[in-house]
Amino acid sequence: MRRGSIAIAGVGKEFGPATVLNEVDLAIEGGSFVTLLGPSGCGKTTLLRLIAGFLEPSRGAIAIDGAAMQGVPPRRRPIGMVFQNLALFPHLDVFDNVAYGLRVRGTPAADIAGPVSRFLGLVGLAGFERRRIGQLSGGQKQRVALARSLVLEPAILLLDEPLSALDLQLRRQLQVELKSIQRQLATTFVFVTHDQEEATLLSDTIVVMDGGRVQQVGTPGEIYRRPASPFVARFVGDINMLPGRIVSIDAASAEIEIGGSHLRLPLTAVIGKARAGASCNVACRPESIAVQPSSGAGTGTTFAARVVALHRLGPMLKVTFDTVHGPLTGLMMANAPTAGLAENQSAQLSFAADSLTVFANP
Amino acid sequence: MRTSATPQSLGWLLLPALLVLALFLGSVVLLFFNAFWTRDGFSLVYFRQIVERPDYHEVFLRTVSISVVVALASAVLAYPIAWLLWRLPRWRNLLLVVVLVPWLVSLVVRTYGWLVILGPKGFLNEALRWVGAIQSPLPLIFNDLGVVIGLTHVLMPFAVIATLSVLLQIDTRLEEASESLGASGLATWRRVVLPLSLPGVFTGIGITFLTSMGAIVTPILLGGLRQKMAGTQIYQEVVYNFNMSKASTWALCLLLLSGLGLVVLRALEGALVPKADR
Repeated sequence: MRRGSIAIAGVGKEFGPATVLNEVDLAIEGGSFVTLLGPSGCGKTTLLRLIAGFLEPSRGAIAIDGAAMQGVPPRRRPIGMVFQNLALFPHLDVFDNVAYGLRVRGTPAADIAGPVSRFLGLVGLAGFERRRIGQLSGGQKQRVALARSLVLEPAILLLDEPLSALDLQLRRQLQVELKSIQRQLATTFVFVTHDQEEATLLSDTIVVMDGGRVQQVGTPGEIYRRPASPFVARFVGDINMLPGRIVSIDAASAEIEIGGSHLRLPLTAVIGKARAGASCNVACRPESIAVQPSSGAGTGTTFAARVVALHRLGPMLKVTFDTVHGPLTGLMMANAPTAGLAENQSAQLSFAADSLTVFANP
Repeated sequence: MRTSATPQSLGWLLLPALLVLALFLGSVVLLFFNAFWTRDGFSLVYFRQIVERPDYHEVFLRTVSISVVVALASAVLAYPIAWLLWRLPRWRNLLLVVVLVPWLVSLVVRTYGWLVILGPKGFLNEALRWVGAIQSPLPLIFNDLGVVIGLTHVLMPFAVIATLSVLLQIDTRLEEASESLGASGLATWRRVVLPLSLPGVFTGIGITFLTSMGAIVTPILLGGLRQKMAGTQIYQEVVYNFNMSKASTWALCLLLLSGLGLVVLRALEGALVPKADR
C-alpha cells in the first residue's frame, strides 16, 4: 500500500457541550486527493485539525499508515499543513520560510539550499528566494506556503481552504497546479473546502459532511449521479426536487408516479426503505430534463410545461419551467435543436429516467 | 433641527488644545532662553561647568548607567510576565491589574514599602541574618542599587504593556504552522515568537530608559545623599538655589543625552530585529 493512508474510526469531538463531530468513520487511501466538503460548521475543519493533531478526539481513534496517533503531537506526525490564512512567517524571506522545517530538524546547512530550490521550482517560484513575504501577491504566498510544507516531504498534506481568499481566475489556475503537484509527488492531500465545484475538479474522493457527520463518500461522479441523501443532492450541483409516490415495487425496479407521469426506475436508484404507496422525493439534475420536439398531449412519461425564464450561461442555456410539478430548472446546450425556446412558450418535457434518484420518505 | 456643528462652533474646541500647545512651546522657548541668558547676561558659564567639572560628569554618567540598567532589568523582568499574560487570556485582566498595582500606590507609600523590605533593619536583611547568610546588613538601599530597584519597580509595567501589545498581534496560526513543520514549543518561541515580539521589547526599553533619565523623586528618597542623578540636580537648582539658568542648562544637556540614547537604541533595534511584514 502507498504511504499516507489514514484510518479514522468512530471519531467524535465535543467542545464543551457542543458536539462538533459524530462517529466519523473514514478510510483515506495513500496517495489520493481527498476533499472534505460541506457547509461552514459541518465539522470539516475540526476533522482536519484532528488529523493534524492540533486537537485530540473525544472518542475514537486516528491512525496514519497503521500507527495510532493518540497523544502524538503535530510535530511528530507525518503531516504538513497549509493554513487558511497561510500563516507564513512575516519576519523571514521566501527562502527562510521554506527552509524553516529543515532547519528546525537540524538539517546541515549544506543540505538545505538543494531541497528548498527544488520545491520553489516545483511551485513556480524559482528566483523568488530573497523576496520578503509582504512583497508577494496572494497567489505567490499560496505557493510559498505549499513549498514550505512539501519540502519536508510529508506523507500527508492537509489543506484548510487555502484558496478561498483568491479571485476566481487565480483560483482556477492554482487548482490545476495543485492537482498536478499532487500527482507528481503522490502525497496524500486532504483538502477542506465548501466549494463543490472545487471539490469536483480536484478530488479522487469527496467526503461530504454535514452536522458533524459524514453524509457520503465517493468519487465526484458517484456523488453527483447517486447522492446518498437529499442534503448531498442539493449541496453538490443544482438539483430539482419533485414530490412523488412509489406505486409498486418488484425484484429489480420500482414504478414511480410524479404528478401524473409514471416512470419505471431500477431499485438501485431508490435510496431509503422503499415500499409501495410511500411518498418520496425525486431528485432530478437540470441536464436530465429533455424538451420533446413535438408538442402533443402528455403521454405516460412526458408532461406539459411553460417557459418562465431563459438564462444563457456560456455555451449552456438554463431554462426555468413552470410545470404541474412546480418550478423546474433545465440545463441544455444552447445550440441543441430542441433548445429554440422563448419565454411563455409551452413545451413537452421528459426525464432521462436513468439519471433520477428517488429518496423514499420513511 | 441642527444635526451637525458649524465650522465656527468647532473652532472653539481647538482653544484648549492651542492653550496647552502654547504653554508647552512657551516653556521650551523659556528653557532655551534661560540656558543662555544668565544673571550676568548672555553666557555659556553653566555649559562650561558641565564640560569641565568631573563631579558633574559623574552625575551624568550615573544617570545614563542607572537608566540603562533600569531599562534592561525592566525588559528582562517584563518579558516572562508579558508572555504569561499572553498565554493565559482568561487571567489576563486580573494579572494586568496586579502588574499595574505600583501605579495605584502613592510614591511615598511605595518608597516606604521598599524601606521596610530593603532597609538595614528591613525584612530582607533580617531574614538573611536569621538564616545566617550574612553577619552585617547588606547595603541594599540609599545607594545606586536602591535607585535601580525603585525605578525598575515603577517602570516595569510600561515594559510589560509594550511587550504584551506586540505579543497580542502575533497570529496564533504562526505557532501552529511552526509546530506542523516539526518545531517544539521552545524552538517556536526562539524562531517565531521572540523575533516577532522584539519590537515591543525595544519600545519598552525606550520608554523605561527615557522615564528613568528624568527621574527625580525616587533617586532622592532611595538614593545615597551624595549620589545625585541629573533630575535631582535640576530639582535642587530650581527649588533650593533658584538658579533657573543652571537648571535649564542641565535640562538641555539631559534632553540631548536622552535623544542620543534613543538614536543608539534605534540603531541597535535596526541591527537586531528582523523586519516583519504585516
